[in-house]
Amino acid sequence: MEGEMLKGHLDMIVLAALSAGPAHGYAVIEEIRRKSGQAFDLPEGTIYPVLHRLEQAGLLSSRWMTAESGRRRRVYALTRRGDRALAERRAVWQQFSDAIGGLLAGSGPPRRPA
Amino acid sequence: MISHYLDSLSGALSFDRSLARCVRQEVEDHLHEAVAADPSGDRVGAERRAISNFGDPYAIAAQFAVISLAKQTRRVGAAVILVIAGVFIAMRARVAWYAVTQWVMCEDLEAVRGIVGLIDRYSFWLSVIIGVGSFAYISVGRIPQSFYPAYYRQLRCFFLLCTAATGALVISVTSDAALTALELFGTKLPTEFLVPVFSMAIEIICAGVLVFQIRSMTQQTAATAALLKV
Repeated sequence: MEGEMLKGHLDMIVLAALSAGPAHGYAVIEEIRRKSGQAFDLPEGTIYPVLHRLEQAGLLSSRWMTAESGRRRRVYALTRRGDRALAERRAVWQQFSDAIGGLLAGSGPPRRPA
Repeated sequence: MISHYLDSLSGALSFDRSLARCVRQEVEDHLHEAVAADPSGDRVGAERRAISNFGDPYAIAAQFAVISLAKQTRRVGAAVILVIAGVFIAMRARVAWYAVTQWVMCEDLEAVRGIVGLIDRYSFWLSVIIGVGSFAYISVGRIPQSFYPAYYRQLRCFFLLCTAATGALVISVTSDAALTALELFGTKLPTEFLVPVFSMAIEIICAGVLVFQIRSMTQQTAATAALLKV
């Protein structure tokens, strides 16, 4: 998938990848690849600025730990705010996806029950 | 090969040393893990692929630069508030000291004191209003993904507000220094001299810290803009 197309949704993608549990940068990228069926192929380095930005915004927290290899590793986790932000983005995305799906299929988006 | 790449990345992140150290450790772990996961068994090839998949160090540094700059501007916003509070406390402490020691001032200088006091008061409260405004202005926005022109404009506006607040504060501190000099005119006792001079020194240091912070922010903005070629 086009990198430019993904850029606008990187925050949501990273939050979604971390919804399964705490992970370090490499594992986040692996999770994104796995969950997207290898469709998202971004330069791996672009994930780290996103992780740092989301942490600064209070949506993620991080802690340093020592990996089995003996190297220092930074592990990220969703905060409560991050959880809420992901739920909100998921809802907005669902609405958007329904609308576009309806448009491309030639009909309106499915009506929501009143 | 990996350490050479990490050196390039650290060099590109030299505008923020603590960030550079932290990112280096994270990326080092990432690259070694990518090499370990490579099924080819060819170490050199695996390192080359890991680095290539990671991306251009300057492009990554540019993304970090925006985050670092956002952090720096918020720090400056908070510093403006703290410095103004520090100056206010030093000012109040000095006035309280004059009251406790029942300081008597030379009557000939009363008129000058009134004018300088007026300048001091107005410039201080002007710095409070602009300082609080600049802090609120920079705190409400989200950290952008990249260095959009709109964000650049926001930073420039914030810089102008901070400079105005600092300018007003410097005028206030200078007026305070003049007032203190007038108050101390003809003082003979060294102990009475101590508190006003000490409080004045705190005010000058506070204002100096703010000027230094704004200067650092300006330099980092210029470095970020150069990195991103805005």
